[in-house]
Amino acid sequence: MKDKMMKCGELVKRICKADDFTLQIGHSQDLHTRFAQNAITQHIDGESLRSGSWTVSGGVNLKVAFGNKTGSASVNQLDEESIISLVKKAENIAKINKPDPEYVASEGKHTLREMEKPAVATVNLSVEKIVDGIEKCIKNAERKDGKLSGISEKHVRSNYMLTKNGFEGYDESASYSHSMTIKKKGIETKVYRAVSDYDRFSMNELIERLNEQFDSLNEPEPYEKGRLPVIMRPQAVLHWLNYLVWTLQQREADDGLNPYTGQIGKHFFGDKFSLKSTISDPHISAPLFTNNGLPAEDTEWIVNGVIKKMQADRYYAKKKGIKPASLFNLVIEGGDTSEQEMMKKVKRGVILNNLWYIRPIDAKTGEWTGLTRDGVLYFEDGKIKKAVTNFRWNEVLHDATKRILALGPAYQILPHATIPTIMIDDFNFVDVTTF
Amino acid sequence: MKYLEMAIDAAKSLGAEYADIRIHKTTSESIFLRNMSLKNTAQQEVFGYGVRVFKNGAWGFAHSNVFTDDAVTKTVNRAYELALQSGRLKYGDGLKLATERSYIDTYRTPFEIDPFQVPLSQKVELMMDVNKTLLNYNDIKQTLFLMECQKDEKLFASTLGTRLDLTTLLVEPMLRATAVTTKDSQSRSFREGGKAAGWEYIEQINWQEKAEKIAQEAIMKANADSLGEEEQRTLLLDPIHLSLTMHESVGHPTELDRVLGWEADFAGISFATPEKLGNFQYGSKLVNFIADNTLQGGLATAGYDDDGVPNQKWYIIKDGILKEYGTTRDTAPLLNLQMSRGCNRATSYFDFPINRIPNLYLQPGKQDLSPNDLIADTEDAVLIEGQGSFSIDQHRVNFQFGGDMFWEIKNGKKIRPLKKIIYKSNNPEFWNSVDAICDNRYFRTFGVTNCGKGQPGQRGRMTHGAALTRFRNIRVGGSQ
Repeated sequence: MKDKMMKCGELVKRICKADDFTLQIGHSQDLHTRFAQNAITQHIDGESLRSGSWTVSGGVNLKVAFGNKTGSASVNQLDEESIISLVKKAENIAKINKPDPEYVASEGKHTLREMEKPAVATVNLSVEKIVDGIEKCIKNAERKDGKLSGISEKHVRSNYMLTKNGFEGYDESASYSHSMTIKKKGIETKVYRAVSDYDRFSMNELIERLNEQFDSLNEPEPYEKGRLPVIMRPQAVLHWLNYLVWTLQQREADDGLNPYTGQIGKHFFGDKFSLKSTISDPHISAPLFTNNGLPAEDTEWIVNGVIKKMQADRYYAKKKGIKPASLFNLVIEGGDTSEQEMMKKVKRGVILNNLWYIRPIDAKTGEWTGLTRDGVLYFEDGKIKKAVTNFRWNEVLHDATKRILALGPAYQILPHATIPTIMIDDFNFVDVTTF
Repeated sequence: MKYLEMAIDAAKSLGAEYADIRIHKTTSESIFLRNMSLKNTAQQEVFGYGVRVFKNGAWGFAHSNVFTDDAVTKTVNRAYELALQSGRLKYGDGLKLATERSYIDTYRTPFEIDPFQVPLSQKVELMMDVNKTLLNYNDIKQTLFLMECQKDEKLFASTLGTRLDLTTLLVEPMLRATAVTTKDSQSRSFREGGKAAGWEYIEQINWQEKAEKIAQEAIMKANADSLGEEEQRTLLLDPIHLSLTMHESVGHPTELDRVLGWEADFAGISFATPEKLGNFQYGSKLVNFIADNTLQGGLATAGYDDDGVPNQKWYIIKDGILKEYGTTRDTAPLLNLQMSRGCNRATSYFDFPINRIPNLYLQPGKQDLSPNDLIADTEDAVLIEGQGSFSIDQHRVNFQFGGDMFWEIKNGKKIRPLKKIIYKSNNPEFWNSVDAICDNRYFRTFGVTNCGKGQPGQRGRMTHGAALTRFRNIRVGGSQ
């Protein structure tokens, strides 16, 4: 694929008459095996040129500029005829478009670090082996008289970028993920793990974790709403942080649109909370370059509660005289407190396996809502007492980090995310569900 | 196209019990204007095909963007191999497909002005004029105007003998203004979702009037008060707001795949289980929900679904009672239903079709009742317009919604704007609290273009609708 992508780059370089261009090509080979009620219900295989899993735009994307008038076009073909038509289309749009006062020229040449080849075990993973793994999980669920649903996915991806001003980058990655939910009457719980190297994935370990969660739950009993200490397991923390980090934007902060206005360099989060992106840990996936056409580099976003940096695109970074930055992987610093030790820190509280349906209530205050999911365990006097029904919570998420009581060891839940269990005091449960 | 026949012949010769091929081209244009900066002006084209093979009661699906004899044959073979692998872990004795006959047909979204023929400069000028109007207000600091046009051309063939040629069109504008005042920062939008129509839909909107209204209301909202503690109040919900509420609390719970537990690992399941059909009081007697994939302008109106089942109209809830689900050919037989309701849809050529919400609307009230009459008849309430925060549990029972604009109603009059209002409810309690619905003169629709569902995720489209509706005794309050 690399040769085809570079050939396409050569063609664009040769025929594009615009003052500037940025060509991005994304290719993906995907295998999805979906199961429900202890049976496979979907089985999908194919390769495609596309820019993202939720979008329907073509993976060959060209943005051009004449002066500061820009135009973009995308297709999902790499043949010469399609590329010639793509260039014409983008150029035609730019020629008749209005000027963009925020246009910045494409990125120039950068020295990128050496690409690591995707793990062979992942690339060569066969459909038969994936179905074998699912079969093992379903047999385990049947032994527990439960119904299993979930998905096993394999992705092999490549990404190419070329600009008129001299940037050229090519990157590859591979991943395997397995997600499964077991349900038996009122008990339901889920586990999930994704790895870049299939050799580092153990289905037995994941089944064991599922069984531990499942066995710890019984028919949940109702429990009253109110503020309670919570122990959030890594799946729950990941779900929560995905939303929090999305709002960490410099321009929105400066415009007064998010909670971080005037807070850079200040102690805005709790002092036990640190967040970074890294290229220095060989086990944590990091792209060679970001969508901005800049090399990915170690970035500390929040250190002991102090905001060090926020995300900024190239236009805004230039305007403010700062470096552009985008979050490309997620590392939350962990601690060494075990779940057992956490339970002893307070009289009572709940352990959350997961969170669900998190949405903003108010962009300016940073208040969010969501629910718990996949099992809630009530503990008292250092011991788990019972499963309880799910809660709805409304929380100002950055404020909640000021109530962190303890951190567990960080766990690599995704190829690009390392997350600890986090214990937070007085989490704001505002409602209860019926199950 | 010859590849339709080639794929069907290849699947038959392999011994498929059923197979279909969907050649799907999506052409779209997006313009994104932030303040006066054109962040994106783009045309996209995605073209390929997906082949479904059903063997031993199990599915296989493969897709490709390569149009050659060899590639089509390989894709069919791969789908067949995957079906065999699925058959190792099949559903009981294997899935069955609901009865269906063959069709040879064509469908085109009716339109007057092809949006792809409207000059780009005309579209950009319209958007810039609107944003300029918004930015004339000193307190408006951010404006976002997004315009999307999309055409989906599908050729479908199945081993049943069906041959379909379907083209749908949609246009979707979205406008938002954010005010930053000394008190707060708040947004207000003009958003009615997508419409299966041409550019004439855009031309009939009075954009300057909409811009003035949302700018003024964003500022008003930033300077408004919230409500105090949550208490039981009356709610008046406008059609655009209700479209989201019904999508989450009626649309998703009545998708049969969710009811059967097929979405348990991600989107979740449903409290509206089969034993409730025909007897469960989902809403008050005024509540009638109609599924209608023949609705003009509806985003799920496409002639046929991706099972090759024709579009239909039926009751999901009648006189408050749960009557039926939205179904597909592979889910319907699991409830001993002979026929599918035609709700199987895929977003792109590389997506496997999944059970989707149909166009679904709350039937307007039968008595003459205008929004002004309804407000005049309401002593103490909160009126919510537009869509805001939304969150619902994975069984679709407990939910919390915000909104885009809020008004306090006292003694039959709108007395002041409010902000940061949220309400919480339990699904059947909520719909059973309906005591008045305005009549069909005030019916409005909202086209959803980003319904996230499935693993791998897909963005589905469907249209909802309602008239202003009154709900009693709902827990309503201000957020923090």
